[in-house]
Amino acid sequence: MGELHACDVLVVGGGATGAGVLRDLARRGLRTLLVERGDYGSGTTGRYHGLLHSGGRYVARDPLAARECIAENRILRRIAPASIEDTGGYFVATPDDPDDYVDGFQAACIAADVDCAEIPVTEALRREPALNPGIRRVFKLPDGSLEPWQLIESNIADARAHGSDAWSYQRLVGMERDGDRIVAAMLRDERSGSLTRVTPRFVVSCAGAWAGQIAAMVNVTVTMHPGKGTMLIFNQRMTDTVINRCHASSDGDIMVPVHTVAILGTTEQRVEDPDRYEITREEVAALIRQGEKLFPDLGKMRLLRAYAGVRPLYQPPAEVTAAAMKDGRQVSRAHTVLDHAAMDGVDNFVTIVGGKLTTFRRMAEDTVDMVCAKLGVTEPCTTADEILPNQVPGKTYWLGHRLADHEAEGGGDADLLCECEFVTRPMLDDFLDRHPGCSLDDVRRGTRLGMGPCQGGFCTFRAAGVLGERAGRAGATDVAELADRAILGFLRERFKGTRPIAAGRQLQEQWMIAGVYEGGLGVESLIERETPEASREVVGAQR
Amino acid sequence: MPSADVVVVGAGLAGLTAAIAAAESGARVHVLAKGHAATHWGPGGIDVAGIPAASTPRDGIHRLAGQIGHPYAFLGDDVAAALDWIRPHLAAGGVEYVGDLDTPLQLVPTSIGGTRRAAILPAGQAAALSPWAVGERLVICGIAGFKDFWPEAIAASLSRERIWEGGNRPASVIPVSVALPGLAARHNLDALEIARRFDDPAWRATAIEAMARAIASVPGSGGRVALPAVLGIREHAAVLAAVQQRLPAAPFEMPLVPPSVPGMRLYEALRAALIRAGGRAQIGEMIQRIEHDGRRVTAVVSAAAARTFTVRTGALVLATGGIAGGGLVAERDGRLLEPILGLPVEAPPADDWLSVDAFDPAGHPLEKAGIRTDAELRPVAADGVSLFDNVRVAGSLLAGQRYVRERCGDGVALTSGWRAARSLTAVPAGHVAEPGSERP
Repeated sequence: MGELHACDVLVVGGGATGAGVLRDLARRGLRTLLVERGDYGSGTTGRYHGLLHSGGRYVARDPLAARECIAENRILRRIAPASIEDTGGYFVATPDDPDDYVDGFQAACIAADVDCAEIPVTEALRREPALNPGIRRVFKLPDGSLEPWQLIESNIADARAHGSDAWSYQRLVGMERDGDRIVAAMLRDERSGSLTRVTPRFVVSCAGAWAGQIAAMVNVTVTMHPGKGTMLIFNQRMTDTVINRCHASSDGDIMVPVHTVAILGTTEQRVEDPDRYEITREEVAALIRQGEKLFPDLGKMRLLRAYAGVRPLYQPPAEVTAAAMKDGRQVSRAHTVLDHAAMDGVDNFVTIVGGKLTTFRRMAEDTVDMVCAKLGVTEPCTTADEILPNQVPGKTYWLGHRLADHEAEGGGDADLLCECEFVTRPMLDDFLDRHPGCSLDDVRRGTRLGMGPCQGGFCTFRAAGVLGERAGRAGATDVAELADRAILGFLRERFKGTRPIAAGRQLQEQWMIAGVYEGGLGVESLIERETPEASREVVGAQR
Repeated sequence: MPSADVVVVGAGLAGLTAAIAAAESGARVHVLAKGHAATHWGPGGIDVAGIPAASTPRDGIHRLAGQIGHPYAFLGDDVAAALDWIRPHLAAGGVEYVGDLDTPLQLVPTSIGGTRRAAILPAGQAAALSPWAVGERLVICGIAGFKDFWPEAIAASLSRERIWEGGNRPASVIPVSVALPGLAARHNLDALEIARRFDDPAWRATAIEAMARAIASVPGSGGRVALPAVLGIREHAAVLAAVQQRLPAAPFEMPLVPPSVPGMRLYEALRAALIRAGGRAQIGEMIQRIEHDGRRVTAVVSAAAARTFTVRTGALVLATGGIAGGGLVAERDGRLLEPILGLPVEAPPADDWLSVDAFDPAGHPLEKAGIRTDAELRPVAADGVSLFDNVRVAGSLLAGQRYVRERCGDGVALTSGWRAARSLTAVPAGHVAEPGSERP
């Protein structure tokens, strides 16, 4: 039967939406538990392109989504500045983009309340000289670069400060339904295998593309249409501004500068199973061909990796049309809260579907409004008003912020573990102090260790050494297994990201790193061949 | 315009071996390389054929030679001779190698807490080769403040039976860390910096005393001690002798992530041998183009800072490495190119380059990609007809080997470099084939 745990609300899924729902419920006085099967943000949230939408991408086809985006964009700049790089965005009309779309773009922006100013092409090219010199018009919008993991962490921290909690590596394995109510949920610890029985008054599914699997546990049908979006990471910021093509959204038409790299997005492809998909060389080639319309030299730039995320797209069954099945972009990015009391006769269960990272707070607010109405809670939503923990008002991040912060604190020498992303030993120790028992993947997402141009070739091994040193001094017995998982997991993950883009300098570096670890360092001796690694579940690489 | 009898492109083990051997036989030799090669990344041993099924390197060569298209099919018989030939050259440069083709392949521990198969190692690593006695301990001695060697993690991993494949292993593996003079409060030390400190006799004496005290503080006695591979660069032999004499356990170096100090010692020893033999080497030269008159290369044009450099030559050895070295370049469209001469590359189709699992025991099909040659190492077309009379291919660029996975890259490089030089400078008359008449 396992351990028992009672709470007001159980939130399933530790992406941005779940973290936002947790925070909002906690602030309204409901004792809430969030559970996530892996690390926070390891699903779709951590696999997106990093764009803080201005709404410009949706003004023509989905004005409701555009309006929500700009409203949340303004709120996030206020409550989560440390998660945002204020890059600004250009929507550029290339010679291939239709005149009628371009001509109507500014008016459509204004109609949706999205700030939009046309600027001279020469000004845009001066700021972003790698852009296609053949662009005809440029509109400036308040897009930005949004860091998802820190955002999740801030939301969880705020929830904890309000008496709620979040557990990672806890997989929901079943729910018990008694008539019109869910009475219990069973969790399995993905590390120890131990079971916990939770008895919530209410259950909120924030499982995104996996929402159908959660609903099925209580015989409720939620038909998701997982849409795979493939993205490419380049080893340099060929732009400091978010660049969108000014046309009806399509493949390979957005470039987002993210810390030391830049991410080209995206494709849209239906997948059956959000845990199994592959990225093909053809997809990568098609993305680059499209991207070259924005940056003509893109084909010569070094690619670091390809990865994909699965969008939580949803349409009510009656509205599923042949067109929507063919092109996922026709499905609204706006979100829907499914009330399973009205739809399926389960009184204490809702699912939030659709949406996008930029609007996660609004999605949470709408969801929690419904939960509170059902539980008779009248507290209003305060998540848009209060700045998140660990944030300084108005202080967005910028590329050099870590070095600047380090020097502002007096500088001084410290062991630099990850040269690409400026992660020092004290920074890693601080993260490990705050996240006991975390994996190196968690470290990667939490500190950006290994996410720069060398993709972890040297720092992963060092971080594993630090984990080993700390665990050894603390008397832990699984030091070696921790280090194995770190090193093998990193090499596998890196390989997965390189596989669809294997060419040129990146393949050369992949070969060198593999040569170092497999040759002189004998990494294969660490593999336990009998035990399949949990990380193999997702075929596509992470961001 | 300078001229040479042999131009060698590439300064790794294959290229420098070819250059030394050619220069020794009286040829005027000129090495051109764009930079340092895999020596600076590798552990500095001579891996000949460390495949799991093999008992000795000789057995491994025999097994690999049986694979269709493996370079050992035509090089295997010469490995022993090439190895015997190179040893005194390396020893003269201060790097003695221990072990030969009949030394049993042993699992030696690595600095990530794994093991690898080896039989021929530089003297500094050789103490890892002997079998572990009953009750024998292994001390892992780290250096405080050095971020590329983590004794606790290494010891924890090496304490597991499965890392040693269930076989012979130390009875206990114990970590210890030592603060070296002047380094304890330092950050971001790298292996090369520490190695250079060890070259200084006064500093070295104090450092070794500190190491001896730290090791003596560990419970137990005797056994062996693994140290990060930082025991000097130029004065390595003297450092090693002092460490062996003073430490209370038999010391051996563990190679680290790059830059590899043992690899640099190997490179310096090879380079010194080349200079002694009268050859020249220029590093930092990008080959721009090769001039030829159809079947014979006549000149090599390279670009360095602000000028081009042309060398007329009687022959060319191409030792530019595989994918890692840049000797093969993969295009996005799935073509694999040899950028210097545009030689045809033997490779699987792009969709089959890489297996799904990074650690697929069968390896990745792309690993075997390379240039196909005849038995004289002349590059051949797909139909097997040789393309140039005075060109030889050596090292990782040769098709048909998995130079990392089969742990054969050093043996292939050494033997093919040696053979390429002999073939160009001292081939018995009866072995000279008519152009195009020889098929692999």
